[in-house]
Amino acid sequence: MIAARALGWVLAGVLLASCATREAPAPFRVALITPGSIADAAWNSGAFTGLGQIHDSLGVPISHVEARTPAEQEEALRTYAAQGYDLIFGHGFEFQSPAERVSADYPAVVFIITSGERVQGNVAPLIFRLSEASYLAGMVAGGLTKSNVIGFVGGVELPPVREASEAWVAGARAVNPEVQSRTTYLNNWDDAALGREAARALIRVGADMLHHNADAAAIGVFQAAKEAPGVYLFGANADQTELAPSRVVGSAVIDLPRALLLVAREVQSGTFTPRVESFGLGSGVVQYVPNLALDSMIPVALAERVRAAEDSIRQRDGQ
Amino acid sequence: MIDPMAVAADVLVAAVGIATPLALAATGETIAERSGVVNLGVEGAMLFGALGGAIGATAVGPVVGLGIGVLAGVLVAALFAAVAIGAGADQIITGTAVTLVSVGLTGTIYRQFYGPAGVGLSLPTLSPLPLPILSDTPLIGSALFAQPVTTYAAAALIPLTWYLLFRTRFGLALRAVGEDPPAARAAGVSVRMVRTWAVLLGGACAGLAGATLVLAQVGTFTERMTAGRGFIAIAIVVLGRWNPVGAGLAALLFGLATALQFALQAAGLKVPYQFFLMFPYLLTLLALAGAVGRVKAPAALGRNEY
Repeated sequence: MIAARALGWVLAGVLLASCATREAPAPFRVALITPGSIADAAWNSGAFTGLGQIHDSLGVPISHVEARTPAEQEEALRTYAAQGYDLIFGHGFEFQSPAERVSADYPAVVFIITSGERVQGNVAPLIFRLSEASYLAGMVAGGLTKSNVIGFVGGVELPPVREASEAWVAGARAVNPEVQSRTTYLNNWDDAALGREAARALIRVGADMLHHNADAAAIGVFQAAKEAPGVYLFGANADQTELAPSRVVGSAVIDLPRALLLVAREVQSGTFTPRVESFGLGSGVVQYVPNLALDSMIPVALAERVRAAEDSIRQRDGQ
Repeated sequence: MIDPMAVAADVLVAAVGIATPLALAATGETIAERSGVVNLGVEGAMLFGALGGAIGATAVGPVVGLGIGVLAGVLVAALFAAVAIGAGADQIITGTAVTLVSVGLTGTIYRQFYGPAGVGLSLPTLSPLPLPILSDTPLIGSALFAQPVTTYAAAALIPLTWYLLFRTRFGLALRAVGEDPPAARAAGVSVRMVRTWAVLLGGACAGLAGATLVLAQVGTFTERMTAGRGFIAIAIVVLGRWNPVGAGLAALLFGLATALQFALQAAGLKVPYQFFLMFPYLLTLLALAGAVGRVKAPAALGRNEY
């Protein structure tokens, strides 16, 4: 905790130092704050890729920091705002209240909270209904499970994580009412060794289909599945097929780069008004991406049911 | 449907697996603290051990990875020793700085080697080596005798360290330095030399602990993957009463608490699993308060004047 705090001060110092070299008039600039490492092959790496695309497509200066604790997160938001960044992405639900506090002092800055909660002044959420894709993953899992036990590994018990877990179970039960589900939380987004132990504990009680929402810690879940014969899993936030190509049946994906670029473009052109922007399957930002190499595992009837469910969710989205 | 005996055996397997890196790091830290040095850089040495293990395993194989991990841990410990023992800087501040530098540097090096998007690399891992006959013992067989080689290394290291500390001349000098540096110096012992060796040995153990996480457990490196284990190891040293055997048992307790709470969550029981995570820390506090047996830290622990 002390370590993380001190690191935050170092980061803040670097940011302040870079502030000194700012030239006027300031161009449109975009900042991203992630709650964890951008090398997680999922939630944070997707946002970082999006930031890169904003730089490439809009030709604007960008900046990124990682901030893990609430104190660091508020500090990072405030530092970027003080430096005159025009658009600041707080990448996760946990940024909602710090952003609300900071934004009161910086009314000209747009704060976008991915997986946020509500609009408050110039703070606006981007909501990803990942649960729609997790529901489809659950349907596939419910159809494929041999033990009728499915497992979910969550990082920290945040509302979006709980929603994804509940949708996964609901999807499985829609196909197979016999399914029992088990959910384990790590209280952590980084500890891959704990992720593996949590997954192994789920496998021990018979779970043969796993899903997760645990960022970098989930890499341990993939390892546990690879070690256990007959256990398959579903990726989250990004297409994670390549983490275990013979075991990942599909992934509930958020096309974060696309969503971030959409918003940045709007803010840059000045047409942005704070609102709840919500993306589901219908938008294409949220998708269920199957691993085509394992397509033969899935019975035709099951595939059709999943496709039908996807269509009906899309239609509901469209209304 | 589920055999409770089999579940208990599996929980023990997990407990020993989780305990292994903790026991390794805590054994190393016990050596350092017995010489009067609190090294808060253990977390950093573990992280570098993990990264070294990953790089070694990518380049050659898991066994070489273990070696590189140990080497990386020693290098981090050498940095700590140079500042805290060589230059006589405050141990706590130096250790904290070493850990902070390690967190940043391992992340940077990892991204340089494997790219910023960090597609998890998949490394060959050390599979469990079941010992014949012994591993068939009911309940504890697979927990104790069907583990990766690093667990056996930890099991061997604990009595070896005990022997080193309490039955050798070097161990006597080391403990003397930790209790009363001026007296040790008067007896012709080089305080700096002994402390440096103790810290380097501790670093080697921490490096091996980090490499164990990568090569015997996760099969990949992720940033900050040690997630505070270095600091838990320091608590374990206290709970183990500055004795490697005690540290081994305390590490098992931490491992058991973690394994048990995952088993409870996976069983779908609505119990507050946080309690089980809290339990070993509570015990450590009680140990510090003198409630779980009498605890006496080395008298010169953390002090640089001699």
